[in-house]
Amino acid sequence: MTTTASPRQTRRRISAGAIWRGLAGVAGLFVLLEIVSRSGLISTTYLPPFSEVVWRALQLWIDPDFLSNVGQTLLTYLLGLLISAVIAIPLGIVFGLLNPVYRATRAVVELIRPIPPVALIPLVLLALGNGLEMKLVIVVFAAVWPIMFNTLYGVHDVDPYQKDMGRSFGLGRFGIIRRIVIPAAAPFIMTGVRIASSIALIVVITVELISPGGAKGIGAYIAAQQLSYQDSAVTYLSVLAATITAGVLGLVINLVIGWVERRFFGWDSTARDGV
Amino acid sequence: MAGPSTRVLATRALRASAERPRWVRGLVSVAYFVVPLVVVVGLWQLATMLGRNPFFPQPFAIIGNLWTLLFGSEKAVQDVFVGQFLATVGRMALGFAIGAAWGVVVGTIMGLWRGAREVVSPIVEFLRSIPATATLPLFIILLGGGDDMRVVFIAYGVSWFVLINTAQGVGSIHKTMLDLGRVFRVSPARRLFAIVLPAALPKIFAGLRIASTAALLLAIVSEFMLALNGIGFSLVVAQSRFNLLSMWSWMLALAILGLLINSLLEFIERRLLSWHRLSRQRT
Repeated sequence: MTTTASPRQTRRRISAGAIWRGLAGVAGLFVLLEIVSRSGLISTTYLPPFSEVVWRALQLWIDPDFLSNVGQTLLTYLLGLLISAVIAIPLGIVFGLLNPVYRATRAVVELIRPIPPVALIPLVLLALGNGLEMKLVIVVFAAVWPIMFNTLYGVHDVDPYQKDMGRSFGLGRFGIIRRIVIPAAAPFIMTGVRIASSIALIVVITVELISPGGAKGIGAYIAAQQLSYQDSAVTYLSVLAATITAGVLGLVINLVIGWVERRFFGWDSTARDGV
Repeated sequence: MAGPSTRVLATRALRASAERPRWVRGLVSVAYFVVPLVVVVGLWQLATMLGRNPFFPQPFAIIGNLWTLLFGSEKAVQDVFVGQFLATVGRMALGFAIGAAWGVVVGTIMGLWRGAREVVSPIVEFLRSIPATATLPLFIILLGGGDDMRVVFIAYGVSWFVLINTAQGVGSIHKTMLDLGRVFRVSPARRLFAIVLPAALPKIFAGLRIASTAALLLAIVSEFMLALNGIGFSLVVAQSRFNLLSMWSWMLALAILGLLINSLLEFIERRLLSWHRLSRQRT
């Protein structure tokens, strides 16, 4: 990780030229889509002019009904991530410090982890109905693993001399965990939160998409629009616009988390690791 | 100096295991694997036998039911195992292969060619921020509810992980290595296959790992909507019939499938990347 950190560091400083080329790329795609659609190469029912999609998205962003859906998605996402962190970080610390406990739970964990979280949807839907709890159970099931395993790696990575140092300065077991283990593992935990965050968003939207009726959120909005798509092109535009909104939401979340990571954990080389 | 440092590094468990002979250590690690599973399954079985809850069937019933579901009667062998289980596996594998190939190709171009990377990266960043599953309705509208739509959808969702990692891996190759190839007049094609791709392979594999998990998830999600077969479809059918036992059985099947995929990729990775690990250890 440390060997690859230096080229990545230089790449982080984005030059003005790169920004212009990036903007040119976006504008180029915009124009290309617009031309392809307007010229009738592809039927406008399948590829509406991009400007209309953007216009529809802007209309949606001031539509209170749509905004409440976005709010639901965000709320579920944030709560899910929070609960996952509260469960996963202590577990990761315990597993990281007590190797026998980790080895004992590993078999069970390795069997549960590969289950795609979305496979739980039908069962949890039956058990809890399609409210917030159902969404949260599935999101937490999905988001717990990356945080837990990254915390565990972080705890394993703590310099043993630092722990010894803490001990010789008279710190107790919990003092060492609070003052040395957690700060040292924090960049790893943050990496876990970043990975969990994108998984959580995917799962929230999937759950909303699949759970029939009643549920609210961007996914539910898309599903409802899609079901009625046969009557007009407007609903199809709405599907596109809502999908783009989901992308904007994902992008903003990624940027915020990336900023937090650089601002508070920039001192650690692992925080810069991609994926 | 040596005394305290070894005491620091070796935890009690490690020291104890180092003293024991090899077969004891092997037995201990097997026990660490088997005992917790047995305990959990046993406790679960006991709990479900004491207090019956429709949402938590007995573990042995789940395992037995999975067996009869997949390989039950003579006739059902064909129907369920091939029709549902292998249908999902096939879709997933095909979508994964297409998505991975696309990701490696585009990622390599982006990694090697800075101009292209700078032009496309905002678009890539945006597209990959769209939660892949949110695009499923779009794919259904554009391509219909058939199997080809599912494969394309899986390929689309999977490709981003591979693309980003390949671009990073190729982009971070030391320039000296590329120049060396040029100095020795290695042909561009050989440079690609003998220098660029091997150097990026560890990173590409990291992407493939994430992508394989995503592929299974996307396959299941795609089968939730308008499908006629597959594990996801079977789950929905079981749900509509309130057949909780079958739902648990299918989840067990998914867990086993996920484990198999993981170990397969790990095996391939170990074969292909043993040189990488060795070179890591030496430094």
